[in-house]
Amino acid sequence: MISQNALHHAEKCRFCWMCRHLCPIQRQTGKEINTPRAKGLLLSMVNKETQSFDKDMAQAMYECVLCDACTNNCATGYQPPVFIREARTEAVVNDLAPETVIRLIDNILDTGNIYGVEKTSFAREGTDVLVYIGEVAATQVPEMAENLLLLLEKAGISAKVLENEPASGVMLGDLIGYTEEVFLQAKTCAEAINKVGLPVVVLNSYDAEIMKQRYPMWDCEVKTEIITATSYIYDLILKERIKSKKAKGIKGACHDDDRSARSFFEFDPIRAMAKAAGYELEEMFSNKKMAKSCGTAVSKAYMPEIISKVAAGRWEDFERSGCSALLIANPEAYLCLKESIPEGKCLVDLYGALL
Amino acid sequence: MSLRLNISDEAALEAGLRLKAEDGIVTVLTMGPQKAESFLSELLALGVDEAVLISDEKMAGADTYATAKALNAAVRKLGPYDMILCGRRALDGETGQIPGRLASSLGWACVSNVEEVGIDNEGIVLHRRTEDGIEVLRCVPPLVVSVCEYSYKLRLPGIQAMRQAKKKQAKVLNASDLNLAAEECGLSGSLTRVTEMRAIFPGLRNCKKLSDCKELAMVIQAEIRGTGNE
Repeated sequence: MISQNALHHAEKCRFCWMCRHLCPIQRQTGKEINTPRAKGLLLSMVNKETQSFDKDMAQAMYECVLCDACTNNCATGYQPPVFIREARTEAVVNDLAPETVIRLIDNILDTGNIYGVEKTSFAREGTDVLVYIGEVAATQVPEMAENLLLLLEKAGISAKVLENEPASGVMLGDLIGYTEEVFLQAKTCAEAINKVGLPVVVLNSYDAEIMKQRYPMWDCEVKTEIITATSYIYDLILKERIKSKKAKGIKGACHDDDRSARSFFEFDPIRAMAKAAGYELEEMFSNKKMAKSCGTAVSKAYMPEIISKVAAGRWEDFERSGCSALLIANPEAYLCLKESIPEGKCLVDLYGALL
Repeated sequence: MSLRLNISDEAALEAGLRLKAEDGIVTVLTMGPQKAESFLSELLALGVDEAVLISDEKMAGADTYATAKALNAAVRKLGPYDMILCGRRALDGETGQIPGRLASSLGWACVSNVEEVGIDNEGIVLHRRTEDGIEVLRCVPPLVVSVCEYSYKLRLPGIQAMRQAKKKQAKVLNASDLNLAAEECGLSGSLTRVTEMRAIFPGLRNCKKLSDCKELAMVIQAEIRGTGNE
């Protein structure tokens, strides 16, 4: 039951091949089926009843990180993630989703996160802002969450963190598309945030994106201001509440995570953080609006081999910059990149670097 | 072009689904080409009990009069209903005439520009937007309500509901199912014709600012004599 709107996006591909060159998955696997245009063609064939939606097709729809690089450069202005997301819904509805994906969905429905584990609690009382840690940092990269909270404390910010922080819905949304189940997670999350009534600083840009862009469409808006953690820290640097460090004499390049780059067009904060941390900045390939994904926590969980290649591809981009420190402020990127750090290079959590 | 549901129809449907949560059934009815059947099927996953498409080549080119006539015939065939919720206007034509015309042909009351629909022990409560603010009306069925596009956001379908909806299909009715003769349908049954379409570009009005009535009288006189635009 792919919607008319999604089919419109799928059917209108002009086969210009641009997305083929930009897709971080296709660039690493070299498989034609990994391109957005191939996925559009498959759905078009289903629509014309020349092909059935089967398990192989469902698998193809999951071999995508929904990074939106294809949308950013689509000659016709269409958005492949719209139909890819709906195709995932179709796969789940028809019991065609890969086993690895089904396991993650079950975990989310049980615990809120794909790992099926209880989260580390960062709960604390505070009066200035509410910090939303998110599932990925809380379960996989707790050191980044701890560093952010310490940095805020150092800047004199009284930060509150919820005792039982609800899932934002972003992980479930990436796995099953935007359905009622995702809405219910979103609603619970928005209600918990609204109950506190403080501006919310969101560590993971993926969580921030769904809160800022999807919640209002679903009538479960967060009533207070939503600020990405990077923007908030940037503001504290500008106000000199976070002091700049002495130059380290180390060349670093920032990795723009896809959602900060293409959902928020947010490029300056992470660079200001890097400079304040004492790094000498260079740019790596595919930066800012052209940012190339290094994988997401969700995709890494159901297709770890492919995401290892995607992360390695991002390290290759970095190595060509001639820098030695890859600078990031996103827990999903940290998670994907930390397993394949090339010899002589380092991966830097900018929240930690500013402490 | 892809078909999509009108924004104000989405709001009307959501209002209906919320009323259903209290009690009742929701039937979705539309008139359009055969391909509209696919998006009606999507609506079945939202909790719609029955989806009906009026579709017939004879109905092509229908104006609001002929469209309301077909909808009227379907309502009479499928009903009885307590309330018909319509979007207040379509995304394309934007005439906003269907709710009023349908109500009139059914002999029902019509309340337009409604922002909130509710039910209490005494009947239907409607919040209607007027130029002066909000009017709260208590109504008795049957009636037609036209709903503002910003009033409700349509819910998302759940996985289980989508699975169940796959077993259902939209019902399709044609002119003969509705006992409508060819001359009552489409262009033949329409009272209006679109004879020309053109773009009106802004800034082409030849306006002149006048300061008193005497000057206005002179300008009108000149226009009447055909000596204006000097």
